[in-house]
Amino acid sequence: MREREATVRRFALTDLIFRSVAKGSAILVLLILSGVAVSLVFGAWPALSKFGPAFLGTESWNPVTENFGALAPIYGTVVTSAIALLIAVPIGIGIAVFLTELCPRPLRRPIAIAVELLAGIPSIIYGIWGLFVFAPFLQRTVQPFIISAFHDVPVLNSLFAGPPYGIGMLTSALILAIMVLPFITSITKDVFDTVPTVLKESAYGVGCTTWEVMRRIVIPYTRVGIMGGVMLGLGRALGETMAVTFVIGNAHRVSASLFAPGTTISATIANEFTEADGEIYTSSLIALGLILFVMTFIILAAARAMLMRIERRAGA
Amino acid sequence: MSAASSSLYSRRKARNSVMMTLCVVAAGIGLAWLALILGALLWKGLAGLNLAVFTEMTPPPGEAGGLLNAIAGSVAMTVIAVAVGTPVGILAGTYMAEYGRFSKLTVVVRFINDILLSAPSIIIGLFIYELMVRPMGHFSALAGAVALAMLVIPVVVRTTEDMLNLVPNALREAGTAIGAPRWIVIRSVAYRAALSGIVTGVLLAVARISGETAPLLFTALSNQFWSSNLNAPMASLPVTIFQFALSPYEEWQQLAWTGALIITFTVLGLSIFARSLTGRRI
Amino acid sequence: MLSNEIITADVINAATPKTKIEVKNLNFYYGESKALKDITLSLPERSVTAFIGPSGCGKSTLLRVFNRIYELYPKQRADGEVRLDGENILDRSQDLNLLRTKIGMVFQKPTPFPMSIYENIAFGIRLYEKLSKAEMDERVEQALKRAALWTEVKDKLDASGTSLSGGQQQRLCIARTVAVKPEVILLDEPCSALDPLSTARIEELIDELQADYTIVIVTHNMQQAARVSAQTAFMYLGELIEFDKTEKIFTSPREKRTQDYITGRFG
Repeated sequence: MREREATVRRFALTDLIFRSVAKGSAILVLLILSGVAVSLVFGAWPALSKFGPAFLGTESWNPVTENFGALAPIYGTVVTSAIALLIAVPIGIGIAVFLTELCPRPLRRPIAIAVELLAGIPSIIYGIWGLFVFAPFLQRTVQPFIISAFHDVPVLNSLFAGPPYGIGMLTSALILAIMVLPFITSITKDVFDTVPTVLKESAYGVGCTTWEVMRRIVIPYTRVGIMGGVMLGLGRALGETMAVTFVIGNAHRVSASLFAPGTTISATIANEFTEADGEIYTSSLIALGLILFVMTFIILAAARAMLMRIERRAGA
Repeated sequence: MSAASSSLYSRRKARNSVMMTLCVVAAGIGLAWLALILGALLWKGLAGLNLAVFTEMTPPPGEAGGLLNAIAGSVAMTVIAVAVGTPVGILAGTYMAEYGRFSKLTVVVRFINDILLSAPSIIIGLFIYELMVRPMGHFSALAGAVALAMLVIPVVVRTTEDMLNLVPNALREAGTAIGAPRWIVIRSVAYRAALSGIVTGVLLAVARISGETAPLLFTALSNQFWSSNLNAPMASLPVTIFQFALSPYEEWQQLAWTGALIITFTVLGLSIFARSLTGRRI
Repeated sequence: MLSNEIITADVINAATPKTKIEVKNLNFYYGESKALKDITLSLPERSVTAFIGPSGCGKSTLLRVFNRIYELYPKQRADGEVRLDGENILDRSQDLNLLRTKIGMVFQKPTPFPMSIYENIAFGIRLYEKLSKAEMDERVEQALKRAALWTEVKDKLDASGTSLSGGQQQRLCIARTVAVKPEVILLDEPCSALDPLSTARIEELIDELQADYTIVIVTHNMQQAARVSAQTAFMYLGELIEFDKTEKIFTSPREKRTQDYITGRFG
């Protein structure tokens, strides 16, 4: 019995150690995120204190005169991500409807798995394809056609103004759309699966068509979850680096034309960081990173909050 | 059925057909688009795939060569990142699913971890630059590996917690009822029951980091030559692809395509293997 | 003087068996709601006591207090006294792991650990005892024989515990529990997931085990309680309604509610 008591004391000690190490690791996760925030603020401080709030609204990006502003990258980031979602959301929801309602049963799982595997393909693959295959294709065929077609249409003629470079804002947006498509599709499909079968059956029972069931029952029921998925896709699009860096053209200007080269926050950092000389230049790039961090943090937090809501409901 | 209601019905049916056709078209477009990318990758990548890719160093501009140092660098940094990130991730996940299952801390950590999971990886690169590269005064493979470890942690935390949560409580109670302290119940019962799931998480993390470029750009930088010094810049496959693809030299561009093909196969292979382990999608 | 006392104790034992577990004014709470109300009863040593009652009556909760397994979950707490051989196990100084080596538990669903049959048994023994390979083999065999499982598994001790049938798994769990030599065995509806044949084997086993162990069984099956137990406690809505010799409870209960329950008027 005495031996047992010694064992018990040893157990209590090991348990305490294991518990503390595990808890420490969990806290480390929090420290990583706060470390990111602190280091970005610290690194961005010289630029932020020099330029102040005007940093956000200045288009100029001049390493020679050391005058930097974030307007062009922010504009590029927002515009490319917005267009990407405009394209990817309807297609993604369409594919999800196809997978849950229309697809022949034996094909459902393979296609769903394929979509998820595609979500894991590194972005550099999309970038290299965009640069060597997609951009030249756009430059030769689609862009000249659109430019001439809208030449005399007001608004559209400035939105699609030449010359056709191939690379540029629209190309980036299209590549981003392909990249976020698997995300949006698989999350939408997952939240569609949380709809209770009885709910759908009773809707079919009163004579609804498939489309009406989707439009009136499934989509309203899963609205929050779909929004969460879309936000998650948006978070990814905003921060996506490599796919965009290849095809955006890295031009620091705000241009009305979607065919014009532009830049995004992440593309600017990726392109210029290692070559940046001087404290202010580096610091301005880190300040861009800080802006991106704040933007994605807000979006992702909102996305998670929404997805948590639907998970709770599905679990209940 | 009256004439009015039957015309209403046929309108509804027509609208249904139109929308359903659009969904099929969307699926067709999406899948075809992705197939196009993979097709191009195979076509262009296979053209340059030969033994030299795996046995020769990255060449100077305009010459033939391989990707040996880049592949080795990627493997080295991935191994270190997994060695650093996996224990932290598993322990944190363990806390969340076991000791702290009902605590507020767990809710907060889960939320923050989910944000880290999808945070832009270039931000992690900046973080490690500030944390390691700037104080040390130079780029290094070690900094690159730590940056990758930061991406491993959230993936492993998430899967470990999920997998441990799937272990039935009855099993924990049974272990406890026999007089085993909590950590032995976790080690000998819960980990064993969740083993394949946890391994899956680690494999998915490897898949995730093997294609990551952005966090390496200004941590490990790159290196034209063979280097086994962890305290110096080191080449990696993704960064080499990035540099070579944007260069004007045809040989380099070809190597970039081949490298991209290698990465894609690695990532797809790892994900398929990982999923087959659990037989369940994560 | 000393020998005198021992003699008196023996005389008392012969008449009324020694009390193993004594429960006094026990209350139990799940958060705000009270699940056990002022329970008081004594369980005699080396006999089988059954807890019966409709689901939600608190019979499992009471069982889970005896080895304090409820401590795994937050917001569950007990107050009052539960004395094991006179020592209050609800005392804060009570080491839980030590308590659980003295009071073993078998659960509703069989819970073999994800390891081999041999390891399932050896796992618990190894925690507190350092044994040679031969001694351990001996102990494993003993435990499996005690649980009437030895002949069925002796040729496949390396097979996974989960590869056994449901009834075998449950006997493996009993073997695992007796292997660590507890004084009390708690059985929480041990047959509810089993077929009638396996149930009969477990009941036989319980009958054999009471020679060495104090056994407490929770069951929703009244015939089972009547078959295996010496005394029965009927519980209802967190209260102990009646506690007496099993025969008395099933033939001439004092309380009307007990009568109603055992005649199937509710539950």
